Amino acid sequence: MSNVKVLVVDDEDSIRRFLRVALASQSYTLFESTSGQEALSCIAEHKPDLIILDLGLPDIDGVEVTRLLREWTKIPIIILSVRGSESDKIAALDAGADDYLTKPFSVGELLARLRAALRRAAQTPGEPVFTIGSLKVDLLRRLVTVEDNEVQLTPNEYELLRLFVVNAGKVLTHRHLLREVWGTEYGNEFHMLHVNISNLRRKIERDTTRPQFIITEPGVGYRLRIS
Amino acid sequence: MAHKDLPPNSGLSLKKKERRTPALKFAWRYYLLGCGLVAVATLLGHLASGLFAPTNIIMIYLLCVTVSAIAGGFGPAILVSILSVLAFDFFFVRPYLTFNVEDIQYIFTLIVLLLVGIALSYFTSMLRRQTETSKRHEQEMSALYALGQDLAIASDLQSYTRSIINRIKGTIGQDVIIFLPDARNEATLKAYTDSPEINVDANIFNAAMRSFQRKEITECGSDAIEGAKSLCLPLITTRRAVGVLVLIQPEDANDYSDEQERLLSAYSDLAAVAIESIQLADELHNAEILKATEKLQTALLNAISHDLRTPLVSIIGVLSSLQEEGMDLDDADKRSLIQVAREEADRLNHLITNLLDESRLESGALKLSLQPAEVNDLVGATLEQLGSRVNNRMIQIDIPTDLPFIRVDFGLFVQALVNIVDNALKYSPPDSLIEISGRHVQQEVHIEIVDRGTGIPEQDLPYIFDKFYRIKRPDNVSGTGLGLSITKGLVEAHGGHIEAKSQAGRGTIVSIILPVSADLMTTEKFNE
Repeated sequence: MSNVKVLVVDDEDSIRRFLRVALASQSYTLFESTSGQEALSCIAEHKPDLIILDLGLPDIDGVEVTRLLREWTKIPIIILSVRGSESDKIAALDAGADDYLTKPFSVGELLARLRAALRRAAQTPGEPVFTIGSLKVDLLRRLVTVEDNEVQLTPNEYELLRLFVVNAGKVLTHRHLLREVWGTEYGNEFHMLHVNISNLRRKIERDTTRPQFIITEPGVGYRLRIS
Repeated sequence: MAHKDLPPNSGLSLKKKERRTPALKFAWRYYLLGCGLVAVATLLGHLASGLFAPTNIIMIYLLCVTVSAIAGGFGPAILVSILSVLAFDFFFVRPYLTFNVEDIQYIFTLIVLLLVGIALSYFTSMLRRQTETSKRHEQEMSALYALGQDLAIASDLQSYTRSIINRIKGTIGQDVIIFLPDARNEATLKAYTDSPEINVDANIFNAAMRSFQRKEITECGSDAIEGAKSLCLPLITTRRAVGVLVLIQPEDANDYSDEQERLLSAYSDLAAVAIESIQLADELHNAEILKATEKLQTALLNAISHDLRTPLVSIIGVLSSLQEEGMDLDDADKRSLIQVAREEADRLNHLITNLLDESRLESGALKLSLQPAEVNDLVGATLEQLGSRVNNRMIQIDIPTDLPFIRVDFGLFVQALVNIVDNALKYSPPDSLIEISGRHVQQEVHIEIVDRGTGIPEQDLPYIFDKFYRIKRPDNVSGTGLGLSITKGLVEAHGGHIEAKSQAGRGTIVSIILPVSADLMTTEKFNE
């Protein structure tokens, strides 16, 4: 992990300062930008492996920065945002951001998301069997087991779970899930999505109120927990 | 002229020149009639002189005096009395056809006749004046009563002015503009009319302004209407000028009659008092709002300064002890200190979230992004957000799997639940059970949070959802008194309502009741 380059884009000096310390302790090489413009030129120059991007930048909107970057690169982007701007988060995620964190956040959480995003970016095809705790998903044989007991899923439930597994740790927005599983014309059928998630959880989670695998991201979407 | 030192009933004085009253105009007819009556009486007396004694002929003259006193008043009565005496003396008292009086007793007759005439005319004219006065009063009273009735049902300045304008227009027949001080700028006047066609030109405005400032009647011409004039009557109470009443007089308008003048005077007095009363009520209302706002701000400031600073005290304390070089802290000490700081920081975050929600609720800037959500999921996110605080508590969740989804803003609704569960955690013993349950009752979903804590005293129960209301407790649990009021605001923003039941010493039940929309009632169609 020693040569991993991370760019932090935030206009708040204190936030950059504590991120500097936290990231340096993990041996990441750090670049810093205080505006969207600066970030874009820094990315072109240094080609970082991951970007931590604040949505509230003084010049260009973070969502716009994401959109501009996604035109030419798949560098993982983790969004920083405040509570109450769920629509901005969704917009950034739909524009291609990989993950988001709501300020204030803990460094532990940030590092976990960062590692997950880097791992996904470096992912090599293969590993058809995904295991997390008692849950095992065999993508090759379309077999799902919990504590070695086979679970019967409907095709849509399986498709949802497959998306979660393929994007393990990544936030998937409601609309993204609906489009991927049911098709673009179902982008607003939120009730249908929630009902299917509810059913899926009932089949794989031990406690549906405190799910271990499929985590709700309030107002944004769902993600599969990986650690 | 009306003047501020005079009482409101000082009346108007609109006349520029003395006008002849109708009674005066026709007075000469009564004098002529009186002369005729005396002539007729003399003729009758002459015809009857053979039959009656002269004393009885006087009765005919007395009748004439009486008639002219009643009909014509004082002047004609005196004239008829004198003429009667002269005629009687001339024709019926020896020596005839001279004014000499032979018999001294007729002089007495003459004097009595004169006195009767004077007395009768005096009393009848007094009676007539009284009748006229009371008739005028009655008209005034009924006009004022009608306006009073209008004003009694009017509730704002707009309807007040409309009533006044309509009444004056109805009785005087002229267009009326009322100028009142502008609420936004006290230094200027705002015009109230009953139709937009009435043109308030600069002339009228300036005249009204002058009238308002000097508290006197002013007149001016109008640029807008050829030949028209306007008359500005200041509306004055004992305390101040409250506005100006402007009458638009067409070119061919007559001067006002006494009745109209009196009516106008009465109307403007009543209007002045009525307008002042509503102005005073407005001022009082504004003062109350200001007071309430100040009280709220003070409470908010107190809450913020106390509750924001308390966690900061711990955080700064922890950080400074970690920074302090001379302190000998082992790892366990450090961990426990950091844990304290972390918890306090989380509390601060929670507080700020609530304050933000509150201000957004208050300003109406809160936009709900509604989506169907599973109660189970909402409760899960709530517990997730409360983090370590719920991990070592016994929490029993009872939510049936077939409970309908509810349409909520996930984040905000979770915040509402967090506030309630947070209270349940704070006000119950650490080893006691907290129950969270969901029920489907007809077209509603009921979410209940039950604790077995200290409960809420009965006298406090109605107020717990009020802003900044905190129950006096011996235990020093921190809080702003904002949490429940925000929760109520959030739940109501979702079209639901919130209730609390409690028994002191036994615990509290908080229920959130939300309607279920018909399209969320069934989940069958999604189950393949």
